[in-house]
Amino acid sequence: MPNRMPEPAGLLLDRSETVEFSFEGRTYAGYKGDTVASALLANGVGVLSRSFKYHRPRGPLTMCGQDSNTLVQIGHVPNRLADQTTVAPGMTVRAQNYWGSLENDRLALLGLLHRFMPVGFYYKAFHKPRALWPLWEKVIRRLTGLGTIAPDAPHGYFDKAYLFPDVLVVGGGPAGLAAAIQAADAGGEVLLVDENRALGGALNYARFDADGALADQRKAMLLRELQARPNIQVMSDTLCNGWYADNWLALVRGNRLYKVRARALVLATGSYEQPLIFHNNDLPGVMLGSAVQRLIKLYGVRPGSRAVVATANSDGYGVALDLAQAGVEVACIVDLRADPPADELTAAAARRHLPVLVGATVWEAEPEGRNMGVRAARIARITGEGTCAASADSFACDLIAMSVGYTPAAPLVYQARGRVRYDEESAMFALAELPAHIFAAGSLSGAFNLDAALEEGYRAGWQAAGDAGFGFGPEPACVNPKDAVGRTHPWPIFRHPKGKDFVDFDEDLQVHDLENALTEGYEHIELLKRFTTNGMGPSQGRHASVPAVRLVSKATGAAMDETGNTTSRPPVGQVKIGHLAGRAFEPVRYTAMHFRHLELGAKMMPAGLWLRPEYYGAAPTRSEAIRAEVKSVRENVGLIDVSTLGGLEVRGPDAAEFMNRMYTFAYLKQPVARARYVMMVDIGGVIVDDGIACRWHDDHFYVTATTSGADAVYRTMLWYNAQWRLNVDVTNVTAAYAAVNIAGPQSRAVLEPLCEGVDLSKEAFPYMGVREGHVAGIPALFLRVGFVGELGYEVHVPASYGEALWDALMAAGQSHGMRPFGVEAQRLLRLEKGHIIVSQDTDGLTTPHEADMAWAIAGKKPFYVGMRSVSLQAEGRLTRKLVGFEITDRAAPQPKECHLVIRGDEITGRVTSVAFSEALEKVIGLAYVASDQADEGSTIEIKVDGGERVPAAVVKLPFYDPDGARQEM
Amino acid sequence: MLLIECPWCGPRDEAEFACGGEAHIARPAEPAALSDAEWADYLFMRKNPKGLHRERWCHTLGCRRWFNVERSTITHEITRIYAMGEAAPANENEGEA
Amino acid sequence: MSRYSIFSLIRHARTGHRDWPRAWRSPEPKPAYDVVIVGGGGHGLATAYYLAKEHGIANVAVLEKGWLGGGNTGRNTTVIRSNYLWDSSAALYEKSLQLFEGLSQELNFNVMLSQRGLVGLAHTQHDLREIARRVNAIRLNGIDSELLTPAQIKELVPIINISPTVRYPVIGGSIQRRGGVARHDAVAWGLARGADMRGVDIIENCAVTGIRREGGRVTGLETTRGAIATGKVGIAVAGHSSVLAAMAGFRLPIESHPLQALVSEPIKPIIDTVVMSGTVHVYVSQSDRGELVMGAGIDVFNSYAQRGSLPVIESMLAAAVELFPIFSRLKMMRKWGGIVDVCPDASPIIGLTPVDGLYLNCGWGTGGFKSTPGSGWVFAHTIATGAPHPLNAAFSLERFHSGALIDEHGAAAVAH
Repeated sequence: MPNRMPEPAGLLLDRSETVEFSFEGRTYAGYKGDTVASALLANGVGVLSRSFKYHRPRGPLTMCGQDSNTLVQIGHVPNRLADQTTVAPGMTVRAQNYWGSLENDRLALLGLLHRFMPVGFYYKAFHKPRALWPLWEKVIRRLTGLGTIAPDAPHGYFDKAYLFPDVLVVGGGPAGLAAAIQAADAGGEVLLVDENRALGGALNYARFDADGALADQRKAMLLRELQARPNIQVMSDTLCNGWYADNWLALVRGNRLYKVRARALVLATGSYEQPLIFHNNDLPGVMLGSAVQRLIKLYGVRPGSRAVVATANSDGYGVALDLAQAGVEVACIVDLRADPPADELTAAAARRHLPVLVGATVWEAEPEGRNMGVRAARIARITGEGTCAASADSFACDLIAMSVGYTPAAPLVYQARGRVRYDEESAMFALAELPAHIFAAGSLSGAFNLDAALEEGYRAGWQAAGDAGFGFGPEPACVNPKDAVGRTHPWPIFRHPKGKDFVDFDEDLQVHDLENALTEGYEHIELLKRFTTNGMGPSQGRHASVPAVRLVSKATGAAMDETGNTTSRPPVGQVKIGHLAGRAFEPVRYTAMHFRHLELGAKMMPAGLWLRPEYYGAAPTRSEAIRAEVKSVRENVGLIDVSTLGGLEVRGPDAAEFMNRMYTFAYLKQPVARARYVMMVDIGGVIVDDGIACRWHDDHFYVTATTSGADAVYRTMLWYNAQWRLNVDVTNVTAAYAAVNIAGPQSRAVLEPLCEGVDLSKEAFPYMGVREGHVAGIPALFLRVGFVGELGYEVHVPASYGEALWDALMAAGQSHGMRPFGVEAQRLLRLEKGHIIVSQDTDGLTTPHEADMAWAIAGKKPFYVGMRSVSLQAEGRLTRKLVGFEITDRAAPQPKECHLVIRGDEITGRVTSVAFSEALEKVIGLAYVASDQADEGSTIEIKVDGGERVPAAVVKLPFYDPDGARQEM
Repeated sequence: MLLIECPWCGPRDEAEFACGGEAHIARPAEPAALSDAEWADYLFMRKNPKGLHRERWCHTLGCRRWFNVERSTITHEITRIYAMGEAAPANENEGEA
Repeated sequence: MSRYSIFSLIRHARTGHRDWPRAWRSPEPKPAYDVVIVGGGGHGLATAYYLAKEHGIANVAVLEKGWLGGGNTGRNTTVIRSNYLWDSSAALYEKSLQLFEGLSQELNFNVMLSQRGLVGLAHTQHDLREIARRVNAIRLNGIDSELLTPAQIKELVPIINISPTVRYPVIGGSIQRRGGVARHDAVAWGLARGADMRGVDIIENCAVTGIRREGGRVTGLETTRGAIATGKVGIAVAGHSSVLAAMAGFRLPIESHPLQALVSEPIKPIIDTVVMSGTVHVYVSQSDRGELVMGAGIDVFNSYAQRGSLPVIESMLAAAVELFPIFSRLKMMRKWGGIVDVCPDASPIIGLTPVDGLYLNCGWGTGGFKSTPGSGWVFAHTIATGAPHPLNAAFSLERFHSGALIDEHGAAAVAH
């Protein structure tokens, strides 16, 4: 590790442990705590990647995860930040986006073609002839994209957690620490999050005074205070990644996404240091001043041997002092300001005799062979805004540090709809207005002076605590100057005739690229961004956005504020799709008999949130299994789990009136102990649900709903009664009951011996009757209904008895040859009876008249939901109608559901249900047809797979047992 | 994610609620007496204001009751929560539409 | 006006590309126009373009309150397809797809149409029935569509998980091979440049504040850049349609909802088709830049805020990761929201309004981008002739009175 400094440099290192990892196939050693980037720099490796468009070599720029120069592939995960990812033993790291080798990238030739590849060149070419573009697209797709991902990379374990602090403080720098301390003193729970490993923010690396001692003193004090307050929860290595309505925030740590609801929020997210724009400002070895300080202080890495520091504020002098102290020769401090004011740091630099040039800038960086590094900086005198004198002096160096200004790290402010305004005096964007329950402190709000940042932090903590209901003591005062003015150069852009003056490193955009786009009319900042892709790379415009605003403002003559900034939306930074996906809690509902079905070999299928048996048996025998199940119901007896049907209790003096309004049929005079069909239409007269209403007492109905419709039906009922205020109470008891339908000629025989308190005889318990009683000792409701068209009983019992009921019935049915049957058999059985299934035989527009369900509409009611629309439909002309059809020609191919009914060239309808009926020995089905095809005896044509048209006869429903003798026996 | 103050259960996350759309749509006393256009108007036409909006929410994963909410469709800020049947509050910052 | 071609690129290289002419002018609004289009998104620009090109009406202004294509045109997932269920929808979207197929050449602007095929997934028997119904119906309308088995889907999309043991297994699907994606911004810019070349005035930063009427007729508009007299106004302001209708004194059967989408960081190609699933509310494709582009379902409440809530994104990504486990380690880079107009029957309104001379184009829900040229083409016809084209006759505002709705729920991948 030739560039490693001796201890104590390297706050984050644990030098007791050496870690070996590989980069581009070569093995390197770092210390525990090193990031990939710091370990490589310590070993003299400065090039980590190749750029997106011109494949230029790139090295670390920010050392804090804010640039995409350090995106590398680690194992099967692409685009990891090398300056944030700590090294682990055996880690395999590869550079991205090159062809050949990192040192010798054949695609660097693209850089030579740059003249023919201006921004947006792809909009202007490749479209003629038409066949050309698909070929070019393939080439372009292969060239773009960073990193690769293995097709079999697994999801991995990600999860989510929830937190509810009174005050959330984002940012663990001086201002954030002060805020947390002050808020905690007021009482209440405080959560402090920081995206770095160590709390302290700039106190960990920046220099605030001549001898560099102040930061450590302040940090020690703040951390001591912090530890003394048990109501502060600290989460470091945690990124606050998004603000959502009502202070709901997303935090990311490790593989966990935390969702936080905070009463009050303190933002102390600091600011992003901004690069200087000059020729070859993207070379490895050109980095931010703060990156230099981070390397020295956090990682004990000497970032170069001879440095030029370009600066426009006193922080640059601090950088130079740090470099000098680290044993790096400072070739020159180039101060862009013509007349820099003297302060503690400039004075200290002067005392150390560091050479200073004022009113000048780095005009060019001279590349080391094949752009792999810096050889010298050419420095020229500034003659005007963005212009320099013709002559430049060359200073040999291998490091150029840039300290020319900041922009607030304000993504969360933008997301929370705070306002940011350009401040001419400080040449920075500044917070102008914060929404309720949000407070800001530190350099985010322009407090660069350390003591001012602390004061602001205490005040913001006090304000936030008060806002959260923890008022305490007098408001802390802010007396120190913020020192925002003089930090940021108003025009750090030096357009070079040879270009390579990069505004956006991610997208390889140079000053003239933006200027040319402006000339072409893409003048709105958002248009410019989209046309040039400025700020659209992984670093999200942290460095590219403000210079773009400056360039637009200059070109259009509009003020910086009118030009505006592009918006910031979540995420703030690195969040993996896996974080958001988490463990994918998609609820599945099991009925009480679920495991019995599995034991019986059921093939389960989703039905809404539920799983239901599709049929019992192995997949290859699907059709035989279904056939046997059907046969068993028709000839003996079968048992189906119908627990998933919705169940709603409607009770109260107005229950019958309520039912009368909700459903189309008549319920006022429905006798007690009888069931009646229910059909619900929406206000537009479209069928939305159906079921059975059982009247237990004058003021008590039990209503079933379809499996997937139950919740919506319940919600709709409450919705209407919130307006009608009828004296009823509606309860959704779907999950409270388990239910089976035992059906078939033998069903009475199976059930009878088990029953107590209920007489199953035809006379005592007729078709459509309902009774209460016990079965196998279990309290039960009995509904004698006939969906499948045989003698049958629905038995509803408390859900906890579901399995016991199933077992008792299965045991009792054994001697009668009873079989369980699934949804598929039931579908066929009901088809034979001509019953519709809502949502299979209806769609989002089906009316009762179209579905031939007019019989279920009470003619003489004053009102029901949708009545007006249904009456309109009744008067109007029907365009389609649901009919039964049969195909008697055994040789004809069997149509499938959704095959179309065709007349001439016209689609007149479609098949909604179809099956071969063993009982009837023919293909039967339901289909929509044109209304003039709907008469019994008409012939329709169904277009089947392969295009053949199969004739079918329209017949009267039901197909099976038209008199209903079997279900009423 | 909105924080909605259910009148019965207190403040809860939006995820616990269902939104039922525009409130205060008066059901015609005599639907049969309406013209087709008037009926269509009742069925389909909505204010959809940009600004303050009165809508119905149901605490589906809690008490399952419906109530009225006054909320900005621009900022999502909830300014009032009131019972079903209560008249719409007067407010000068009415939405544009 | 300079034509765009590989040769002009080479020619302009000599001057460092400093002298490309403006893509479109930036004129001051004139006091009067034959037609004013409100809304400088794809639909408005396409309408102006086809008014000039097909109907010879070039004295047209397009008013945009912000920047061109800044609404839903620049906020969608760029998917193009025409596999809709009902004849009237299929015909309109097919017209649009056909116009897209020649758009780059016609506009002399590469909109990067990529007909990479669009796969729809079925996860339940109900899905499969719906997909089959649609495939059968639209094939009869002459539109390409095929049913697929899980194995065929796996072949087209090797990274998809077709394991039968997941929560929503893939049990089948369909493909429209002519479906795909196009670069959304380029569609707006190309149309703007094309309309401008034909004499249309495109006026940015110009918000409409009032609609002048006399005796039930439109006479002009009040704007933030002064009054403009005109006898014909076409509104194409998806998201804000109700606001404009209110200015003209009527209401619409429309509600505005947030619709969110996101992109991942760029990676090398891993998915070569568009994949969509209605049941789990996911659609995904990979852009030419290498980003995965994914769309979610709409948020439940009305909003004009161009932002949605995180849970919608979370549930969408949970489903996406189950289908594509390899997405898990990729980072989400940007996420955004648009405001979509939603009609009760999930179909658009393109036609006349209660005010003479005022025409309306709205209610596209999630279908707006793919219909851009087709919508503009029929809307231009409607404005030019004062009567709808047969392709948009069914999409009248009047259908809500007559009850002749067109139910396209299920047509979009996501529930409306």
